[in-house]
Amino acid sequence: MTKEQYNYKQLIELAVLDAHGLLEPIESDLFNRSFHDAPVAIQDEIIQMQRDIALDESLLPNETPRASLKKDVLHAVAEAADQEAKRLAPLALIGARASAIQGKLGSSKQTYIWRTAALVLFGVAVVLGIMAFESNKRANRVAQIAMNVNTTSTIAEVVGPEFRSFIDNPYCHVTRLEREDGDNDGYLRVAINEKFGGGYVVGLDLKDGEEIILQGTTPEGKVIELARISAGAPIVGSYFDIDKELVPGLAIVAVDANTGKRWI
Amino acid sequence: MPSNEPDYQLMRRVAIGEEDAIAELYDRFGGLVYKLSIQFLSNNSAAEDAVQEVFVRLWKTADRFDPRKAKLVTWVMLITRRHLIDCIRRKTVRPKSHELGVHNELSATDELHASNILTQERNAALWQALQALPEMQRMVIERAYFQGFTLREVSLQLDAPLGTVKSALSRGLLRLREHGLKDSSAL
Repeated sequence: MTKEQYNYKQLIELAVLDAHGLLEPIESDLFNRSFHDAPVAIQDEIIQMQRDIALDESLLPNETPRASLKKDVLHAVAEAADQEAKRLAPLALIGARASAIQGKLGSSKQTYIWRTAALVLFGVAVVLGIMAFESNKRANRVAQIAMNVNTTSTIAEVVGPEFRSFIDNPYCHVTRLEREDGDNDGYLRVAINEKFGGGYVVGLDLKDGEEIILQGTTPEGKVIELARISAGAPIVGSYFDIDKELVPGLAIVAVDANTGKRWI
Repeated sequence: MPSNEPDYQLMRRVAIGEEDAIAELYDRFGGLVYKLSIQFLSNNSAAEDAVQEVFVRLWKTADRFDPRKAKLVTWVMLITRRHLIDCIRRKTVRPKSHELGVHNELSATDELHASNILTQERNAALWQALQALPEMQRMVIERAYFQGFTLREVSLQLDAPLGTVKSALSRGLLRLREHGLKDSSAL
């Protein structure tokens, strides 16, 4: 949202901190935007430098993991995927109903539901990924799949019809918010139309009973309540009004209405 | 960016939970993630738990990997470092900000000794490299990198402008790396 830009020296400094995971989400977002606006030669220099930092093992302990750790990792990911599928099961049922009307049900209902759940999960992941894109120049084959009418319709059915106008909109800037306390459950994506105003917040996988207040802080320090969403479903969303004049420099955070814990 | 296309496709497959893709990701980066985890955390068991959590996090965030902005190894290590810093912030009882003031008797370096992060033999090279840094650079690295304080917290603790903290941290991390590369090439 803010158009703050960094010079070459600052970009290199921040690139080092970014590669070490030391930037806060807002600073990381600013860095990413400056990176995209930087000349290609500087982008290449940063990419190479960050790669070198990532690959540098000179000060790391010379130890290797036990062989069976790989099996544990695969098990942990599979278990996390199962839990995610169960949480999003209501979406699978929405898909199942739609297909039942079209007479496309398979022979095994249970297999069908899980296949549908997998497809819808894939669709949700891709569409939310697309929301993070800043420009429609980035649209590619995956984006076309994500823009599939049925997938968008399914999500719009859950969160509301305004959702459509924020998908792959080149005027929208998307901010991802995560819990400040490091709890990895759920996240928020906030899309704000920088040209015409208005915004949309989507909450994914929030905890039962949570109520989230979305706030914007202007450069002058004025705090504006943008929206409130309650965790009543695996995916919740809400349109909100925001004047386009207020958008530049607006810092977005969210606060849990019950506990006061922040999302940044 | 054709050279990154296979990595992009790999992360698409990771995003949908394809086991072969996650296994490939582990084969390529599991060792590196483990080494960094064991540097940050105090024992093998905690490091192994962290490796599993990192790969779950990589699966969850796979759709955000942008090959035009970073190589895959950069992305993997970024997620790893963020997770390890989160671990330190969650699991370590950190000294309050005012207890870490520069005039306090209990210096950040003493805390670091006690924290069992760098005192182990496995991190001797890192410990030596840290000691060779100017004081300001060493202090900000200790606090931000190994104790999990945010840069704003470090800025308050040291009563230094945020920009100064960022610059010192960036320069210090680069010097640490130069020190490490020099030592490893001398072996």
